[in-house]
Amino acid sequence: MNKLRRSLLLLLLVLAWALAPLLLSRHLIDLFVFAGLFTIGGLGVGLLLGQCGIVNLAQALFYGIGAYSSAYVTVQLGLPSLTGFLAGMLASALIAIAVGWPVLRLTGFFLALATLALSLIGNVLFFEWDWLTGGTLGIGGIPKLSIFGFAFDTPERVYYLVWPIAILVLLLADNLVRGRPGLAMRAMRDAAPAAEVLGVDMHRLKTAMFVICAMLGSLAGSLFAHYVSYISVQSFTVERSIAFLLIPVVAGSASVWGIIAGALFVTFIPELLSGFGDIHQVLFGLALVLVVTLLPDGLIGGADRLAQLLKRRMA
Amino acid sequence: MSASLVMQAILSGITNGFVYALIGIGLAVIFKGTQIINAMQGEFAVIGAMVTVFALEPAGLPYGLSILLGVISGAAAGVIIDRLFVQPMMRQRAGEESFLLLTIGLAVTLSAAVLYLAGRNSYLLPSWGEEGVIEILDAFLQIQALWLIGTAIIVVVGLRLFYGRTLLGLSMMAASMDPDGAATNGINVRRMRSLTFLLGGTIGAIAGILVAPLVAVNYHMGIALTLKGFAAAILGGLSNPLGAVLGGVTLGLLESLAVVGFPSGYKDVIALAMMIVIMIVMPNGLLGRVGRIGG
Repeated sequence: MNKLRRSLLLLLLVLAWALAPLLLSRHLIDLFVFAGLFTIGGLGVGLLLGQCGIVNLAQALFYGIGAYSSAYVTVQLGLPSLTGFLAGMLASALIAIAVGWPVLRLTGFFLALATLALSLIGNVLFFEWDWLTGGTLGIGGIPKLSIFGFAFDTPERVYYLVWPIAILVLLLADNLVRGRPGLAMRAMRDAAPAAEVLGVDMHRLKTAMFVICAMLGSLAGSLFAHYVSYISVQSFTVERSIAFLLIPVVAGSASVWGIIAGALFVTFIPELLSGFGDIHQVLFGLALVLVVTLLPDGLIGGADRLAQLLKRRMA
Repeated sequence: MSASLVMQAILSGITNGFVYALIGIGLAVIFKGTQIINAMQGEFAVIGAMVTVFALEPAGLPYGLSILLGVISGAAAGVIIDRLFVQPMMRQRAGEESFLLLTIGLAVTLSAAVLYLAGRNSYLLPSWGEEGVIEILDAFLQIQALWLIGTAIIVVVGLRLFYGRTLLGLSMMAASMDPDGAATNGINVRRMRSLTFLLGGTIGAIAGILVAPLVAVNYHMGIALTLKGFAAAILGGLSNPLGAVLGGVTLGLLESLAVVGFPSGYKDVIALAMMIVIMIVMPNGLLGRVGRIGG
């Protein structure tokens, strides 16, 4: 019975998702596309935070590497867009290994601030290396993605591309978390000495997760570049890194599927608040602070607690 | 490269270094007192400077009073944040990353608030004493820089005496190192934590007010200031205010001397890369000290 109800609910969700573009305005579809991008990029940060207890404030760096790789490869070199995706993910992986291997020796506050510094360094380099990135001018005229001659040139079409990709990486991540690596990571997070005794190579595991996080960031960045077709340094600032981190924080860091809720939150709440005028950024900041203070397990954890409370009331 | 250019780089490096040092000292004070790295320390500086700017200009208060208001607002911000957010989270026994997220969230909120209230403009304050520069070996040092350096030194000496010689300072240290033990000895641990935030906010605001005559203050400079201050504090060793001064000046000098050789855009890259390397190369010194508390 319960299982049936769950499959029905899932079916309904999928139907709602599939039909949504027919009903929604173009602006809302555009926001949903961004939520999909942030799901992909935020998932990487969420895996690090939820499974390894690592605060990563450098995701905008890899988001940028993906975007610039796609832009450079397609605009300057005129190569197919798939090359851009691969180049970005490869570059991100290599940089994540080179930087992550030494930096992941740090823990806690120190690691978090080191990644924040990396994000800032990345932003300066994006700005200074204008032969590659176009500096403040940015790169325009990035072609829309097309697969087998089918061009993803409207928000509706990109919507149907981005979300399946997001669901796919979520499924893969879910699988990873349920398997041995997930067990090892949570052991490492909760009882590091015990994990080490049991033969978990912690440093290697952390670096591997950092690489996965970087590649997801790069994937989201490449999709972003093709979608908006113009990119500049403003899209890859420290604020973007903070927003990526907030996705799992808002969702409740340990939940893989909750990432979707987090991504929807960071895309839609600012939009809703913008009705209040210029003060909306302050309100958004306050909303985040309140989530951190009042809901240590994020929205998902809060909803769980509410459901339990209601159940107890009913019983 | 001329000698006067190098001399100029040294002088501006020392000046910047004391700015980083003051932010770093504030960070170190809060870390010492609460075991929290306060990612919004730079915002205290922005608050202090902005309040002084607006007390002076549209409100038309005398400069001395404006400065006092700026400092008080920094101190008040510290206490409010402690009471509203830190205390409740301490009661929930929140972990390290929760506090980091809290202070980052607060930094974002405050910077948005400053943007809302003061706009995108940058603001300069008038010099503390008389306007002007002094010449040292064909290079120039603004008189304001001397005020900055002098105040930083007074703050360091004052803190040293406060933590080492006064009952209140010792109680604050005790409350941080061993909260339960301190409580049994009749120390109000919660109040000590509030005082720590008050002290951190005050020092942050002083830093901002001292910098504002040299560098124009704007809504988004907080995070960069925090990181530079953190770099200074790390470099010098987090638990010693004197260390932050040493670290800050080293950082400032390296930065400005590097700019003589590199394009100036790389200034931040050099400073931040150095911070990361230092944290990795000297982890035992730092972590050893952190680990020893309470153990």
